[in-house]
Amino acid sequence: MLYVQNRELVVPGQLIAEGGYNVREGAFREGKQVYASVVGLAELRGQDIRIIPLQGRYIPKPGDVVIGVVVDSYYSGWILDINSPYTGNLFVSDLLLRKVDLVREDISQYLSMGDVVVAKVKDVNERMRVQLEAGEPGMGRVKGGKLVEISPAKVPRVIGRKGSMLNTLQDVGECKLRVGQNGRIMIWGKNPRMINAVVEALLMIEREAHISGLTDRVHLMLEKIKSEGGE
Amino acid sequence: MYEIVSSVRRDYIADLAREGKRIDTRTMDQFREVSVEVGPIKSAQGSALVKVGKTQVVAGIKVEHAEPFPDKPDNGMLVVNAELLPLASPTFEPGRPSENAIELARVVDRGIRESNAIDLDKLVIKSGEDVWAVFIDIYVLDHDGNLIDASALAAIAALLNAKPPEDEAWTLPEFPIHKRPVAVTVAKINSKLMIDPCLDEEGVMDARITIATIEDGSICAVQKGGIGCFSREELEQAYEMARAEGAELRAKLG
Amino acid sequence: MKKPEKLIENGKRLDGRVPDEMRPLKIEAGILERADGSAYVELGANKVLAAVYGPREMHPRHRQQPDTAVLRCRYNMAPFSVDERKRPGPDRRSVEISKVTREALESVLFLELYPRSVIDVFIEVLQADAGTRTAGINAASVALADAGVPMRDMVSSIAVGKIDDTIVLDLTKDEDQWGTTDMPIAMVPRKKLVTLLQMDGHFTKEEFGQALGLAFKACEQIYGIQRQALREKYAIKQEK
Repeated sequence: MLYVQNRELVVPGQLIAEGGYNVREGAFREGKQVYASVVGLAELRGQDIRIIPLQGRYIPKPGDVVIGVVVDSYYSGWILDINSPYTGNLFVSDLLLRKVDLVREDISQYLSMGDVVVAKVKDVNERMRVQLEAGEPGMGRVKGGKLVEISPAKVPRVIGRKGSMLNTLQDVGECKLRVGQNGRIMIWGKNPRMINAVVEALLMIEREAHISGLTDRVHLMLEKIKSEGGE
Repeated sequence: MYEIVSSVRRDYIADLAREGKRIDTRTMDQFREVSVEVGPIKSAQGSALVKVGKTQVVAGIKVEHAEPFPDKPDNGMLVVNAELLPLASPTFEPGRPSENAIELARVVDRGIRESNAIDLDKLVIKSGEDVWAVFIDIYVLDHDGNLIDASALAAIAALLNAKPPEDEAWTLPEFPIHKRPVAVTVAKINSKLMIDPCLDEEGVMDARITIATIEDGSICAVQKGGIGCFSREELEQAYEMARAEGAELRAKLG
Repeated sequence: MKKPEKLIENGKRLDGRVPDEMRPLKIEAGILERADGSAYVELGANKVLAAVYGPREMHPRHRQQPDTAVLRCRYNMAPFSVDERKRPGPDRRSVEISKVTREALESVLFLELYPRSVIDVFIEVLQADAGTRTAGINAASVALADAGVPMRDMVSSIAVGKIDDTIVLDLTKDEDQWGTTDMPIAMVPRKKLVTLLQMDGHFTKEEFGQALGLAFKACEQIYGIQRQALREKYAIKQEK
């Protein structure tokens, strides 16, 4: 028995359902009842119940692409702030994809404090120690561009179904984007006005992630700024 | 705790500065949107909530009896205290006031005291024994840059809004406040001067200079902050920006 | 103000309320920019702000718990929040309130989901008229939900007391000062479990039961207002 509708806004402690449903994230079971544990939108698919949170910190999981900032280093690697309660650890061998002779090489030539790095979460252990890797093409130190931070809970909306929102942002916004699951987004583009327009679009997505028709509104907004062209 | 500014953000802001542009599309001499709400705290004699962009500061005035300083038996007291509340920023920790909180309070104090905005000599009840102490408590609620200007504006707005305490010892017809010092902070990034630094700009600025002026354009307080430096020309330019913007902010005090 | 002859006359209290009436309660969620979650509460003349940071990295490292998040709570009053200016900084009363507030909130949070981290709750009283700790807990609950911290339920809180031998709900400063008993309560509304209970004064067993009943009913009401505040944060944007 379901007590809420799909995409309904729910609050913690709210009764979602009663019965043998599969409880995914954002909800918990007490006896026969299933309750929401966060403020979010209910997603009810078949027997699965999940609450998509509208807020919350980023908790790393293996496979996530994240954008980190180097905050510390040690002889064989670096510590990255990944906008999470947990920092990420990057060994130099996971950046260069080769064995490094630490006696001969000084790793500070590869990354310094404050550098922005696109990386992937390699592993998270039960103590939440996070291992990163950044050797794949398209990863590693970031040069130029603008770094924006939004609520990690809104990242799925930035990508959109089958990447539709992301395509809109890149095509109409005339920019290239790299989206981290941890809420950080890199924007590169030739036209500073369009870069700012894309930033505005991202902030709009963050505010209105829970309202439908967002992709169209973003498209319209970017088109309008583009057509107002000329400095 | 401190926040690390990424090299990308640092470069982005510096590049924009070189072209005379800012990260939030403001011009170099443009303040963010300012709102002043007077009297939100009824338990205080005077209060004001000031918003500068997303920065929010509330100031409360309490007037109480106090013993005067031995060397100033015929003067009331002015005490300015500032709290950088931990709820205002992930970098503020609870505990004793940090050097930033103390500097903030002392700069705001200077602007009000040195301009003689309050007639402290009118605040005597009994010479050498009993005077009025005016406490200005600045509570920073939300930190998005330029806490000094927001705090100074909140302090003076609260003073202008202050009502006398319900105490038979109070004999003045009204609160003796006659000047309106306004502080304006100018940041230097990549040799460019910009007014009202937002949080991101504060993270990368070389230095900042705060100049408090009164109605006639004269200066009553100056404070340079940050490890960078200013040339003489830059100081003169900053004064012009501060004087002009000071007048604009003063108009918001009603 | 001198002690009034009566605190209740013809069924009406000093501010015109009847015994089981709460003061007007207003709650707004998400009013601060930097904090992960926040809420502003007005309960009568009380004005209280709560903010949540976390889960975030716990410093110092040796205070980290390997299998759970740590909850930290700080209740603080602004110097201008009371009649006689309060010196800044924690006093013994604030320290005690911080502790019981933390203990009132902790059991509803899924702390085990965030090992080695800390969740910080900051409660600032901007204007006080008795009942600040209850307003603080109501605000903190909303702020925690606003921050996206997973929880089993809200925590709702109110005070009951006794003035002129009558059990009353939600005392003002004057009633607290001139009355005989003050009892703040916090509960988890769904399961009606009490997570904060303090009393100073005097109650007979019957009075105690009566007071609890009043409090439970009021907390149901508060619960509704808390949830509405969270919904409203997103609803307003829907209208745009």
